[in-house]
Amino acid sequence: MATNIEKLKQEREAAWREELRKSKKNKERTDIPRVYMPEAPALERARSYVEVNSGLAVEQAVMEASRCLDCPNPTCITGCPVEINIPKFIKNIERREFLQAAKVLKETSTLPAVCGRVCPQEKQCEANCFYQVKLQKDPVAIGYLERFAADYEQQSGQISIPELAPGNGINVAVIGSGPAGLAFAGDMAKFGYNITVFEALHEIGGVLKYGIPEFRLPNQIVDVEIDSLQKMGVQFETNFIVGKTASIDDLREEGFKGFFVSSGAGLPRFMNIPGENLVGILSSNEYLTRVNLMGAAHKSTDTPVARGKRVAVIGGGNTAMDSVRTALRLGAEKAMIIYRRSLEEMPARVEEVKHAMEEGVEFLTLCNPIEYLGDANGRVKQMRVQKMVLGEPDSSGRRSPVPLEDSEYLIDVDTVVVSVGVSPNPLIPQSLPNLKVSRWGTLEVNPDTLQTSIPDLFAGGDIVRGGATVILAMGDGRKAAASMHQYLSDHNA
Amino acid sequence: MADLSTKYLGLQLKNPLIVGSSGLTGSVDSIVKLAANGAGAVVLKSIFEEEIQMEFKETLKKEVGFQENNLEFFDYFDYQIKNDVLRKTAELISQVKEQTQIPVIASINCRSVGEWFAYANKLQEAGADALELNIHKLPADVNEDPEKIKTDYLRIVEKVIEHVSIPVSVKLSPYFTNLGNIAKRLEKAGAKGLVFFNRFYNPDIDIENIRVTSGSVYSNPGDYVLPLRWISLLSAELKCDLAGSTGIHSPENFIKMLLAGASGVQVVSALYKNGPGYVRDMLFGLEKWMEKKGLSTIADIRYLGKQAMPANKELFERVQFMRYFGEHKA
Repeated sequence: MATNIEKLKQEREAAWREELRKSKKNKERTDIPRVYMPEAPALERARSYVEVNSGLAVEQAVMEASRCLDCPNPTCITGCPVEINIPKFIKNIERREFLQAAKVLKETSTLPAVCGRVCPQEKQCEANCFYQVKLQKDPVAIGYLERFAADYEQQSGQISIPELAPGNGINVAVIGSGPAGLAFAGDMAKFGYNITVFEALHEIGGVLKYGIPEFRLPNQIVDVEIDSLQKMGVQFETNFIVGKTASIDDLREEGFKGFFVSSGAGLPRFMNIPGENLVGILSSNEYLTRVNLMGAAHKSTDTPVARGKRVAVIGGGNTAMDSVRTALRLGAEKAMIIYRRSLEEMPARVEEVKHAMEEGVEFLTLCNPIEYLGDANGRVKQMRVQKMVLGEPDSSGRRSPVPLEDSEYLIDVDTVVVSVGVSPNPLIPQSLPNLKVSRWGTLEVNPDTLQTSIPDLFAGGDIVRGGATVILAMGDGRKAAASMHQYLSDHNA
Repeated sequence: MADLSTKYLGLQLKNPLIVGSSGLTGSVDSIVKLAANGAGAVVLKSIFEEEIQMEFKETLKKEVGFQENNLEFFDYFDYQIKNDVLRKTAELISQVKEQTQIPVIASINCRSVGEWFAYANKLQEAGADALELNIHKLPADVNEDPEKIKTDYLRIVEKVIEHVSIPVSVKLSPYFTNLGNIAKRLEKAGAKGLVFFNRFYNPDIDIENIRVTSGSVYSNPGDYVLPLRWISLLSAELKCDLAGSTGIHSPENFIKMLLAGASGVQVVSALYKNGPGYVRDMLFGLEKWMEKKGLSTIADIRYLGKQAMPANKELFERVQFMRYFGEHKA
């Protein structure tokens, strides 16, 4: 996606933008400190599912928006994977046209309320903000503002349902209802297709629901988006596993002309170290899905999850942070992150690490488990960890962890959540022998069109990327929708 | 007809010729051919943790996307590569067991103790009959304390043995101040067998272009004397099984190893040079010699060899040395 510089320039020259720029001197703007996101108190929220970030109030948002210099060369846009017109939406907030700001977001992002909460802005748009790059000051809080505008629209009751092209009667199936699937469904519905989204679980939303806990992304935020899609005519079939309940061929026979596979990466990975099969050791997928989706935290549930008192979570990504903070909320007295590199190398969003630390999570960095020990009942009781040191930076600039010999020690644990990554869901590739997959089980696609080796099958999100951000998955959904629309138009002409 | 059967690491072998860890033992087709030609056992191609780490670093370099958007997917990808390697090894073991009757000895080389026993544990689960610890450590660091090298060897062996129930052997380096002592300590630590010796990468120098090059990857027929000496010296001292490796290119050298007290003899370079059919030639040579000497079992060969060894081995070494130079005419 190449930024249309000319268009950006024209929009920047709009009279209202020029007037707004002149309303304050740049010095006045740069003197304003970055807004602080209001948060629920750490010790209270650590035992509840209240959303941690409360969102900006109107005046805070307007003030923060006024920090943006509306740069002639908005480098922030190049940092956004879907190239949202960032200055335009922010300037709309500054002039208090909040619904207009949300509309700008929706030009390129299907799920702004979600992305405003879960995108790693510190590595993306905010890392490229003029404040950060040239002034060495805190960047404009683009993520907070994105969330503000999107929430404002959701709460306004004035959510606009996009205009739909006249129905063309062509049925298209979407496999998986995560961010890629939802974005694809929205765009295809706009083109006039009959869209059915098949979801294996009983809830719609994929990783947004089963993976990300409510204290970070309330389900209600996702439900608003799903509701909009339903109003656009998108059908959802839950508890339907494509590849098991029905095959792609069955669906073809039922009249589906195109398929978008966005079944995600839901296969947990383990470390294959001794003792990993002991009771009390589970994957973050299982742990989070059971808590987030199956009510395992409730005492009355049929499928409770172990409420560990001493919980160790292995890994340093967002999923690990979600797991360890969930453990706290389930009553853990000691919740630990065990990560083999240092804090600097952690893939998790900086904000999630900060929140976890505030809530009392212990970070045992430069440590790696090498073995689990069980009690007489086969339940984990201890883990042996090895201390690590950081070696020389590799060619990507990241320092690799190197084991420090003779440094092992034992930690008492009663629950271990292994959060060392996931693999693509294997069901679709297993059911389609002609579908080309990579060595690691991801689907091979034409990078320009996201078409797979089976012509009527397109794919995007984690099933193609292995694992990536919500915004990239969403971008894939939109790109695949444009490609499939072209493909189906050509083949039905 | 002579009975060539023997026991090595407690495993019943139809003969003492073991195909050593190499590319020859990396695929089911190759192993089936070696077994068809009569190999008594195979040591699978070593799993090198270092190779997994190198592949991991390459993967990170190539695959981590813009703004590290997929870093969480790749952060622990070395474990995925490891799982993949272990899965393939498990498949290989299972296929070899389906298609042949010979024992399969898995071989590993790891970086840290934790990984040594993790891999060992998984290879046992994969169905390996025994494990050979390929402690491929060339003491090139002048600052490294020799005592630490010994301690590292012992720790690896102790920890692996704590975690597996299948027999474990150690492939040794010849570079120890007192090789006999470390051998004895490894046996005490629980090693069921010792393999003499590991063959390191040999650098060479190209004198025309003045650059370091790779030396020959194969052993030379004369290399057998080093393992022969140490097996001769230690076979009466140790209860564990000893195996000769390096430079065993002919039936004669094969026989010498057995006479010195080896329970198994590992062959690689000769098979690379002569093909899998050479297993048959080696065994034929052994049988013919046994027939000529009127020996009917491998135990007979070892007994014969034992009788030939002088009681004072240090003296034996020195006498050989003096005799050689005393009789040598310029």
